[in-house]
Amino acid sequence: MRRYQILFFLISSCLLLSGCAVKTVKGFEQQAPAVTNYPVTYFSDAKTDYVYKAHIAIYGRDFGGIFIAKKINDTLYRAAFTTEFGNKLFDFEITDTSFKVNYILEELDKALIVNTLKRDFMLLLKQNHAVQEQYKDNQNTVYKSDAGKRSNYLFIDKTSGQLAKIVNATKSKEKTIISYTPQSNILAKNIVIEHKNIKLKIELNYLEQ
Amino acid sequence: MKNSVLYVFFLMAVTLSGFAQEQKMSAAEVTSFKNGVNATAKNTKTLTTDFVQFKHMDFLSKDIETSGKMSFKAPAMLLWQYTKPYQYSVVFKNNKITINDAGKKSAMDMGNSKMFNKLNKLIVGSVSGNVFDEAEFTITYFKTAEYNITKLVPKDAALKKYINQMELYFDKKNMVAQVKMIEPSNDYTTIVFKNKVVNAPVPDSVFSN
Repeated sequence: MRRYQILFFLISSCLLLSGCAVKTVKGFEQQAPAVTNYPVTYFSDAKTDYVYKAHIAIYGRDFGGIFIAKKINDTLYRAAFTTEFGNKLFDFEITDTSFKVNYILEELDKALIVNTLKRDFMLLLKQNHAVQEQYKDNQNTVYKSDAGKRSNYLFIDKTSGQLAKIVNATKSKEKTIISYTPQSNILAKNIVIEHKNIKLKIELNYLEQ
Repeated sequence: MKNSVLYVFFLMAVTLSGFAQEQKMSAAEVTSFKNGVNATAKNTKTLTTDFVQFKHMDFLSKDIETSGKMSFKAPAMLLWQYTKPYQYSVVFKNNKITINDAGKKSAMDMGNSKMFNKLNKLIVGSVSGNVFDEAEFTITYFKTAEYNITKLVPKDAALKKYINQMELYFDKKNMVAQVKMIEPSNDYTTIVFKNKVVNAPVPDSVFSN
């Protein structure tokens, strides 16, 4: 009886483990990495004010606003969000490895909200991704980059040569997906940040000034 | 010689800026200005105007410019409609705010929010000129050749978090020509009104989203 119990436990844990392996590059062919670093260039022009109309859908509620990102120097970004009327809701300073709140509206200053915004915008504005693994299918080359306990999978569209999406995932689950519609190598005209574990979707559409 | 040229230049600059500078109104001027604005506000049954909004943030290379139309009907119906570079409109009516964000509609009840009531009063007030609420604001009065200027500093702690100071520029016909809203961070939003039409018929149907 005990042997069956152990067998059952082993089988179910195997099923559980295989069922939980992250599906991001399932069916892709692994290759030796051709690069050690992948630089994201979408927000890289220090002369451009990257101004986007933003839609935020969170648990069935919709909000609008203006998202602004600006490269201040080689490593530093400012990322701010205002209402359509111009009132500032938050203003962050972001590098590849640091995050500082210059301002956040008191009503939004909750650990859960700040941490989610921090994770999202640090990923969006991350300039350099160290590459550990590489995959490919017909459409994309994928670079896997370790990021603490999680990994970032960067999908490069083979036709355009541009970054098409970033999947942020743990070993077993996809957490956040950023999808880009490029206008040029320094500008994405549409960006969608979609969360898999919470009902949060941020859509950004570039505003021609 | 070089020094004296500099000195003359400096003197001229000071004199010129002296001309353009704001002067504090005398008590008599304040009374006459307030009476004038109140009379104009009282006679303003409807108002339609175009506006251009400039959002200034210190780190941007240029202000973010948005524009649209505004319609007001006494006592408290207001349509605020951005048409460039995106479609976004807000209607203030019967203690409700309705928002149409490029087709996505939402509504808010102002009755429940003291904060929204105050903001609404301030917005409607700055459009209609009915703003001299000494209980809510510390108000100071200035004049230039072109404008009479009212500077309002909120007394309420909740409002203070959003607005450090509100400046209303009235033309010499006692109509609001420009509004400047300064945030606690000193970034500011300027709204310039143009093509004003007063007391033309405006149907109630305009104020729907």
